[in-house]
Amino acid sequence: MIVKILRYTALALIAIASCSCQKEPSTSDLHEDYLVYTAHDTGTDFQQIETYYMPDSILVIGNSDRTEYWKDDDAREILAVVADNMASGGYTRLDDKDAANVGLQLSYVRRVTYFVGYDNPCWWWYYPYYWTPGYWGDWAGWHYPYSVYYGYTAGSLLLEMVDLEADRQSGKKLPVIWDSFIGGLLTSDEALNLERTLDAVEQAFVQSPYLTTK
Amino acid sequence: MKTAKYIRTLALYALMLGAALPGKAQLFPKTYMNADWQVGMPVDQSFADKTSGWGMNFEGGYFITPTITVGAFISYQTFLEEIPRQTLQLSNSTVMTTNQKHALFQLPFGVAARYNWCKKSIFQPYVGMKLGASYAEMSSYYYIVRQYAETWGVYLSPEVGVSIFPNPDYRFGLHVALYYGYASNSGDLLVYSIDNCQNFGIRVGISF
Repeated sequence: MIVKILRYTALALIAIASCSCQKEPSTSDLHEDYLVYTAHDTGTDFQQIETYYMPDSILVIGNSDRTEYWKDDDAREILAVVADNMASGGYTRLDDKDAANVGLQLSYVRRVTYFVGYDNPCWWWYYPYYWTPGYWGDWAGWHYPYSVYYGYTAGSLLLEMVDLEADRQSGKKLPVIWDSFIGGLLTSDEALNLERTLDAVEQAFVQSPYLTTK
Repeated sequence: MKTAKYIRTLALYALMLGAALPGKAQLFPKTYMNADWQVGMPVDQSFADKTSGWGMNFEGGYFITPTITVGAFISYQTFLEEIPRQTLQLSNSTVMTTNQKHALFQLPFGVAARYNWCKKSIFQPYVGMKLGASYAEMSSYYYIVRQYAETWGVYLSPEVGVSIFPNPDYRFGLHVALYYGYASNSGDLLVYSIDNCQNFGIRVGISF
């Protein structure tokens, strides 16, 4: 009898073992905090930048066929945090984008999921309602002077700084000289979403100390 | 990793066959097999350094003399650790702030040798040594991403234990062992590194 029990115990142990070889941690609580990723072009001297232009709205990347912009009080609060941090760095905001040294564009991923890699930047060309390079002038496309790999999911905010004074002769690619990807902003609590977004935008500037004229 | 999986699967099927056969004390004469649950405590480990019960050990051997056995083993253990939000300088141009979960999965396998005492008694102690290769995988889970690095190293593990057979003539009983494991795996992931993997542990299981 004892031997029989031991044999069944052995079988149970082995069955459990074969099913659960590599334990993966639960990742559900990872979404209780945000992620902030920043990258910049090391060849750019950010101290030489004086002025910037930033639209008064945030572009929404969703499933809509029409271009959507986020312009309500929440969007304005997010833009204000960006503007405050740029002002703290000594940069002057201009109303005329043609006169600005750099442009800042904010995009919020509301519904869709994209993966973007510098090696395969095609969707920048084909996604029709993103900030198009033409928005900033006579540019034919985007260009990252550094490696970029993102996973975009719903509840992500993208901040990008483009160099409006870059050389247009070499393929007319508009260089993105700084970008920040912020993820994990979507919970069931809208007030928490906004609070987390504002904190994360602050963090993007905290971890980009080179964004200063001083 | 695929090779390690094949080895593990073959070992498991062999053990299952042995355990499933009714009415025979040993599938093959002069052999032994162990299937153990193991708890490991990392020593001086800089990645996923929390004590873990997510591990198993499988071992089988042949008595080349009445007291000495030589055989093979395979075991695995996953160590886990939660990392609160921190800012990581990934390169001179990239920085990331996030919370993470770290996992270190170790899968050593190779040869095992034992010296056994008191083969006619209920309690049959032994000392042993395992030597082989060690596969280890460092993983960081953050946001919706799992980033990992695979490493290989040499594995060395002294062990002391006892097999408890209620009826010594019918070799089927319990097994308890204490072990120390050293693996020479080294690797880097994000801003983290391991230079080697050491842990103390205890194994509890069955012996036949």
